Amino acid sequence: MKQYAMIIDLNRCVGCHACAVACRAEWDIPTKEGYRRNWVRSLGPATTSKGVSFTSYPGLCNHCDHPACVPVCPADQIDKTFTEAKTSKTVTMKVAATWKDPFDGTVQIDKSRCLGCGACAQACPYGARYVNTDIANKDLGGEGIADKCTFCQPRVEAGLPPACVQTCISDARIFGRLDDPQIAGYIKNGALRLQSANVKIGPNVYYAGAPKDLELLATTSTPQKMPQEANLRRTFLAGMMKPVMQRIKGAGLV
Amino acid sequence: MNRRRFIKMSTATALTIAASTMDGLPGGAGLFRKARAETAVGKATGSMGAKETTSVCEMCFWRCPIVAKVTDGRLTKIEGNPKSPVNGTRVCARGNSGVQLLYDPDRIKYPMKRVGARGEGKWAKISWDEALGEIAHNMETVKKKYGPHALAYFDHGASAENLREIFMATGTENYTSEPAFFQCVGPAALAYLETLGYIATGTRQYNDMAHAKAILLVGSHIGENVHVSHVREFIEGLSQGAKLVVVDPRLSMAAGKATIHLPIRPGTDNALLLAWINYVIQNNLYNKAFVANTCEGFDRLKEEVKGYSLEWAAKICDLKPDGMKAAIELLAKASPNVNIHPGRHATWYGKGDVGRHQLYAILSALFGAVGVPGGLYFPTSVKVGHVECVEQKSKQVAPIEKSLKDIYPYSAMFGTPTADVIKAMVTGKPYPIKLLGVNGVNIMQTIPDPYETMKAIKNLDFIFCEEIMAGETAIWSDIILPEAVYLERYDGVYAYEGLTPYITVRQPVLPPMYEAKSPYWIAANLAKRLKVEGFPYKDDKAYVDDQLAAADLSIDKLNREGGLVTLKGNPYREGKDLKIGTDSGKIKLAVEAFADEDLDAIPKFEPTPAPPKGYTRLIYGRSPVHTFTRTMNNLWLNHEVPENFLWLNDTVAGKLGIKNDETVRLENQDGKRSTPIKVLVTPGIRPDAVYMAHGFGSQSPLLTRAYGKGAADGFLMTNTIADPFMGATSKRTNFVKIVKGDTVLDIPEIVPLPEEIPRAGRQVQAG
Repeated sequence: MKQYAMIIDLNRCVGCHACAVACRAEWDIPTKEGYRRNWVRSLGPATTSKGVSFTSYPGLCNHCDHPACVPVCPADQIDKTFTEAKTSKTVTMKVAATWKDPFDGTVQIDKSRCLGCGACAQACPYGARYVNTDIANKDLGGEGIADKCTFCQPRVEAGLPPACVQTCISDARIFGRLDDPQIAGYIKNGALRLQSANVKIGPNVYYAGAPKDLELLATTSTPQKMPQEANLRRTFLAGMMKPVMQRIKGAGLV
Repeated sequence: MNRRRFIKMSTATALTIAASTMDGLPGGAGLFRKARAETAVGKATGSMGAKETTSVCEMCFWRCPIVAKVTDGRLTKIEGNPKSPVNGTRVCARGNSGVQLLYDPDRIKYPMKRVGARGEGKWAKISWDEALGEIAHNMETVKKKYGPHALAYFDHGASAENLREIFMATGTENYTSEPAFFQCVGPAALAYLETLGYIATGTRQYNDMAHAKAILLVGSHIGENVHVSHVREFIEGLSQGAKLVVVDPRLSMAAGKATIHLPIRPGTDNALLLAWINYVIQNNLYNKAFVANTCEGFDRLKEEVKGYSLEWAAKICDLKPDGMKAAIELLAKASPNVNIHPGRHATWYGKGDVGRHQLYAILSALFGAVGVPGGLYFPTSVKVGHVECVEQKSKQVAPIEKSLKDIYPYSAMFGTPTADVIKAMVTGKPYPIKLLGVNGVNIMQTIPDPYETMKAIKNLDFIFCEEIMAGETAIWSDIILPEAVYLERYDGVYAYEGLTPYITVRQPVLPPMYEAKSPYWIAANLAKRLKVEGFPYKDDKAYVDDQLAAADLSIDKLNREGGLVTLKGNPYREGKDLKIGTDSGKIKLAVEAFADEDLDAIPKFEPTPAPPKGYTRLIYGRSPVHTFTRTMNNLWLNHEVPENFLWLNDTVAGKLGIKNDETVRLENQDGKRSTPIKVLVTPGIRPDAVYMAHGFGSQSPLLTRAYGKGAADGFLMTNTIADPFMGATSKRTNFVKIVKGDTVLDIPEIVPLPEEIPRAGRQVQAG
């Protein structure tokens, strides 16, 4: 697998929010509180051990190596066949309504099968997902539909950069495969992942920048705990619901 | 008064749609579409496959080339025009959010007439015929009763040109009174014009940060202040290794990226600049060949600045001499590829504002940083025709005994000073002004003091405005005219004269919504009622094509080229190609013409009064997400940044017992209070100043999303000092206390004040 990744270079970022708005425009995300695929949080000016820092936390789904959101999805597992565009290689695997793509490493959602239970949103230590409760797969008994950054998979497949990358006014966002020389270079030079002792799920968004800015970012924006209890409860509830839903669906077919 | 020149400040932006075909525009008349409710989830393919129209952004006046994407008759996304050499596919948050200006449910939808008292905000819908009839009737009546100069026009932006011609045709001298000049770039434009012979900073700014080896920013907060190409050039310069010196009482986003940040005492910038210039001369850090060949007045400069030492300035500026020295050495080392940024918003303290910009220009000249990569460069003249809708002979200013342009020596070349127009409305002196037209500018939040402006408006016989969103100025108007959004109209030719020049045009992406009309239609139809002859084109497209013809282009031809053509730039000029545009052909290190007006040929340090005891200085700047007070109601932008924060020094906050995120109000030296604002407690600002971003705290209930969110700096500005050169008004001469609950808190003085700096009185008299 050649994992897609993103570098956000805080030396170049000016905190202008173009990324957040372009994403909202591209994917027509409503402006309700918490509804967003990416975000910019202003950090500081605050004291760090390396001087006063004024920077931003431009965040989005990390498309993690070990995504916490995927295994908690209670939707029925189905066989899904993935095809690598370049090689036409295929892989078939069992997936619920969200999965990690075996070829590009992105974490995706099947909107048509999402129950909107919110387990995935609660499982994510980065808060990268939200559940849009204004829509639902009513036929599945859904309560909403989860949404998050897709690394603009449809655009990328069409040869376009992600919307946030395309609009970034200072070219602070670099998108590509992990082995892309520019991305690999940033990582080699110490680009930071927002990980802690308890949260080590391999995020694929990396932050570069001045030491003081990375320190402020890390101390304010690194999740310190996996949100386990909450999502277990939600998963349990969603799991309870599922057989009922299937029965209802079955009844409809009779 | 020994000099009078007429300078055309803005590029040709007039817009023409011939009156006869006005209603022939697709959906032009009476089209009414409801703003659509947001969809829950967009198309799986996003904006791909949409119909694309190239145009020009107007979310701010920087005017980046754009591509607008329409799906099923609806504008869904705006991107940068990939053909553009300045922004490519990129647009900022505001540029992206043009979509939500178009579909803002609070847009002014039809002409409206005031039915309550002025400022009360009660309206009745009227027809265009009635609205234009009322305006024409009042313009004629006021002119007949008080003479032509009783009419005045406050304006800003691309939409203002057509209506300006109508005002010019009345014979008034008050046809241009731009806050964008008298509350913003005025002092900077004058200083560069007189020193270097061209306006290196005005509407456009010709400073080459991308190729600089060192950059100096004084108060400029690029990054928070977003003009896309400038941010790009700034970041490009830094990424190529340029050193950065930032002089700012606040740790701005730019200061956060600085090699050296000098957190200067507000109001003492000229002390630092004079000491630096002296240091450069004394230590032979200047470019001797350049100074000898290109400049005049060096000996006088050397003599006049010799008393300003770094040690002296350190005390005045509350900086460490070592840091000041390191900074100037770093800048000198990069000479001549050093960017002494000319700033932009210049009306800070009234006195010394022209001087500050003269000092920047002098530093650029001493380093030989004029006409070279990394320094100030020269605009490349782009030939497009300038077409006016009303003939020049119909636009003569009527004879006048006491002109508002005569109060200050350098107003006349730019317009009538906004503050003096308002004063005339209040006092009737030197002559009464009884009618005001406002176009594209929210004068209530832009011109200090808004309470005086309200008083002035109450004295008027008539006031109307042409607007898209109803800010505070609109609610004080008698008639409001709904203007088409930039995405709904043709709007002239945009010729960029920067490093890589280009020509592009604004063109409609969709027909106007509601009953909105283009600025040309409005002006042309008002002209008809006033019997002003003009507007000769068949339609707006013909007008734009006529301008393009001078460059051997047409709209169709441009559209085949992706909406934009790039030209060859000529920004750098050395040796005999370097021609200085002053009357002597030399860069003027001393501007003798200023001395002829009893002003300083070389700026002297004159301290700006410090805050009265118990007060702190109010400074302000930009949010990268908002433009002026124009965008705070925008759905997407409001969602990103709905309110501003009051930056309060952490030591001061500790002493006052104020915590981060706590909500307070401000009270200024004249007892004016702000709306509630949340506090950002931070070490990133000096103890003797507080900061807020401009563009919030709307007091117009017609902006339902923005109303009362955050605080407005403008409503705390009641003390202004007039700039002695042109009558621009200061905006950093107001002082505040913090109100917590019902308690007014005195601000403790953490940094002692040197005796050279006087303290402002509590009740400060307007200048």
